[in-house]
Amino acid sequence: MNYPFWEIPFLGSGWVIGIIAIFHVMISQFAVGGGLYLPMAERKAMRMTDPETRAAWLKQLASHSRFFLVVTAVFGTVSGVGIWFAIGLTHPEATSTLIHNFVFGWAMEWVFFLVELATVAVYYYTWDRIDPKLHLKVGWVYGVASAFTLIIINGILAFMLTPGDTWIAVAGTGQEASKFWNAFFNPTYWPSLLLRTCVCCSLAGVWALITSSRIDADKQPALKTSMVQWSVKWLVPSFVAMPFLMIWYYMMVPASQQALLTLGIDTINAGTFSAVTRMALVIIITSATIVGVAYYLAYRNPLDFNLSHAMAVLLLALIATGAGEYSREMLRKPYVIGRWMYSNGVRVPSVARINQEGYLTHSNWVWSGSDSSYSRGEAIFRGECGSCHTMDGYRPMRQLLAGRDRANIGSFVLMLHDYKPDMPYRRFMPPMVGTQQDVNDLSDYLNFQVNPPAAPRVLTAQK
Amino acid sequence: MTQKSVASSVYEWVDERLGLSELVAFARHKTVPVHSQTFWYYWGGISLFLFLVQCFTGVLLLVYYRPGAEAYESVRQITFVMHFGWLIRSAHSWSANLMIFSIMVHMFSVFFMKAYRKPREFGWLSGMALLGLASVFGFSGYLLPMDELSYFATKVGLQIPVAIPFVGAAIANMLRGGPEVSEFTVQRFFALHVVVLPALFLPLLGFHLWLVQRHGNAAPPSVEALPPEQRKSMPFMPNFLRKDLAMWLISLNILALLASVFPWTLGKPFDSLAPAPAGIHPEWYFMSPFEMLKLLGFVFSGKYAEFGEIAGILLFSLGIMLWVLIPFYDTRKPTGQRARATHYFGLLAIFALLATTILGYWTIR
Repeated sequence: MNYPFWEIPFLGSGWVIGIIAIFHVMISQFAVGGGLYLPMAERKAMRMTDPETRAAWLKQLASHSRFFLVVTAVFGTVSGVGIWFAIGLTHPEATSTLIHNFVFGWAMEWVFFLVELATVAVYYYTWDRIDPKLHLKVGWVYGVASAFTLIIINGILAFMLTPGDTWIAVAGTGQEASKFWNAFFNPTYWPSLLLRTCVCCSLAGVWALITSSRIDADKQPALKTSMVQWSVKWLVPSFVAMPFLMIWYYMMVPASQQALLTLGIDTINAGTFSAVTRMALVIIITSATIVGVAYYLAYRNPLDFNLSHAMAVLLLALIATGAGEYSREMLRKPYVIGRWMYSNGVRVPSVARINQEGYLTHSNWVWSGSDSSYSRGEAIFRGECGSCHTMDGYRPMRQLLAGRDRANIGSFVLMLHDYKPDMPYRRFMPPMVGTQQDVNDLSDYLNFQVNPPAAPRVLTAQK
Repeated sequence: MTQKSVASSVYEWVDERLGLSELVAFARHKTVPVHSQTFWYYWGGISLFLFLVQCFTGVLLLVYYRPGAEAYESVRQITFVMHFGWLIRSAHSWSANLMIFSIMVHMFSVFFMKAYRKPREFGWLSGMALLGLASVFGFSGYLLPMDELSYFATKVGLQIPVAIPFVGAAIANMLRGGPEVSEFTVQRFFALHVVVLPALFLPLLGFHLWLVQRHGNAAPPSVEALPPEQRKSMPFMPNFLRKDLAMWLISLNILALLASVFPWTLGKPFDSLAPAPAGIHPEWYFMSPFEMLKLLGFVFSGKYAEFGEIAGILLFSLGIMLWVLIPFYDTRKPTGQRARATHYFGLLAIFALLATTILGYWTIR
């Protein structure tokens, strides 16, 4: 292995990425949706004939853009950098592959990101300071720049699930970057882009409901009614289109990945990877609730719509987004890059070689203080299992292997090593790679953790 | 005939026979007080919603559950074999816990708003009876899967009535269907859970809801003391009803989230000959009385142990009696003053519940 292993007890390193990424996605998708919302709302206000209403709308938008600037430019930026740190430490092999393949993609994204940051600051600080038409143009530049960050990053994220046959054919030859566009416009690119665009528009509407809900209904009933109702409209088209887009997305995912969605229909048994199904249920119920609340509480009764209602809608939207991102990540199993790299960083074509030469043979980062079976097993565990399992926390090995003795644990590890086509775990777990000695070392280590030897009894005479 | 006129004809036909217009008129005239504590009014509705979820999921579970010797196997099939069986079971178990929690919140909010005072004494008494029945629902339902944890927890729980002098052992034997918890106990608990308790609960719930409609929502003493022109209210229909339904929707989402993210699992099948596993404990809503009795057991140990058990039960019964009978000794003062002593009694009850529950979980770790 080319990189050191980053072990996070209890939580697991995967969740470090998960937490930062889900937080970042919630903000960045709001930034993209808000990039459309702000100039469109400003354009609508500028076309209003009644000067009082127009002034009230523009004042409200200026207040919303301050909130928008703080959330997106501060929290969005910090969490975005956080993802780079986290993926570099957790999945160095996968990050390396992505950088080698998409370095110019990322360069383009960062250019758009810089434009986005600069224009959002200009947009906020120039309300009533520059010509209104020019101000609106700044808003449009912001909107286009932020949309392009999504257009680019979506290609890379979708690639990880479905890299496509053309890229797979050249993977490992050193010519991967020559198929940049094939990898970029991969099979799930378009459904994923449209789905994300829908989520962005919905989040823009949901966040706008937060600021709109704070308008005093007694003092400005007309403004509150129009702002709340206009913000709700941002949710409606998305929720009409999303079921169809989800079906399209589902159809473009490989059959082996589609099957992961149904694993949790009839069981919750430990180790059966049923969480994706359950997360899908969460997405359905929270999305349906948002539609109901947005229509009945906000659109039909805008004056009664208060901050706590808006916060409830936001919370539901964030849960739906988080569950969606979690499901998307899980759908990639057992790969981190579809058909090319397993979720523990082992490249698919390298399996035979590692089985021949041993997992730790080429690793420069394994602690070699003690060459016992236990310490080798521990290193193998960190490398091959640690990206998805912990000992006692997330997907805990002690719990999953409870009740098994050494022979039983050994058979289980061997089953993962043999990786036969009919093995049930093959649907979501990578193979255990290495020599027979590696199998034994990992089994010894796991057995020691699951069935620790009893402390030697001290006889009364010895006390 | 247009669609609208068909609908109005049907409504008129039904209205003529059932008097729906009177109900609608009543709902339109009914108002709900608006003040800083209005939020607590929603908890009764949340409890009702969760009870409806209990009924719906309970009926679905009833289709596949087999009491008696096959109890464990049938729950195993529901949880690990049938399509979305785990979801129905998880929703049933989570909504049971959430329902007891929301009834407790409702009870304390009624207590601190002094909503048990004249003319709402029966509302308080029926509410307390509903909470008592909900706890028995919980206790009887807990055993039904017959896994290791439910078996031993029920065994420990049924030791408590044994301490009642003279009749204790007979009561415990009657509940168990013998000297030990067995398949006969499951049969009895099942009958209790799906027939006896609903037969008692449903009419009592109807009575409780009727009383709420009859007397309306009570405002706290501080609001009642205000002159009428300063008191605010909102129409029950559609304003309060709409917010109530929004609360139901939020409850449904919380329930769905809990049932999906933390599905209710099933332990190992019970073995009556095996020793009780470490960490056996009752459900959280029984943890407080369990811990209080345990603490008294420490105080009265050795030759006073038997006395300690009886004293514990007596003390606990006295506390519950004082709590239930509060409308009869904390009556409305002509001056409109708040009775501070009962207020502190309520705070003490919350503190005792929380402290003993936390202590209970702390000591079983």
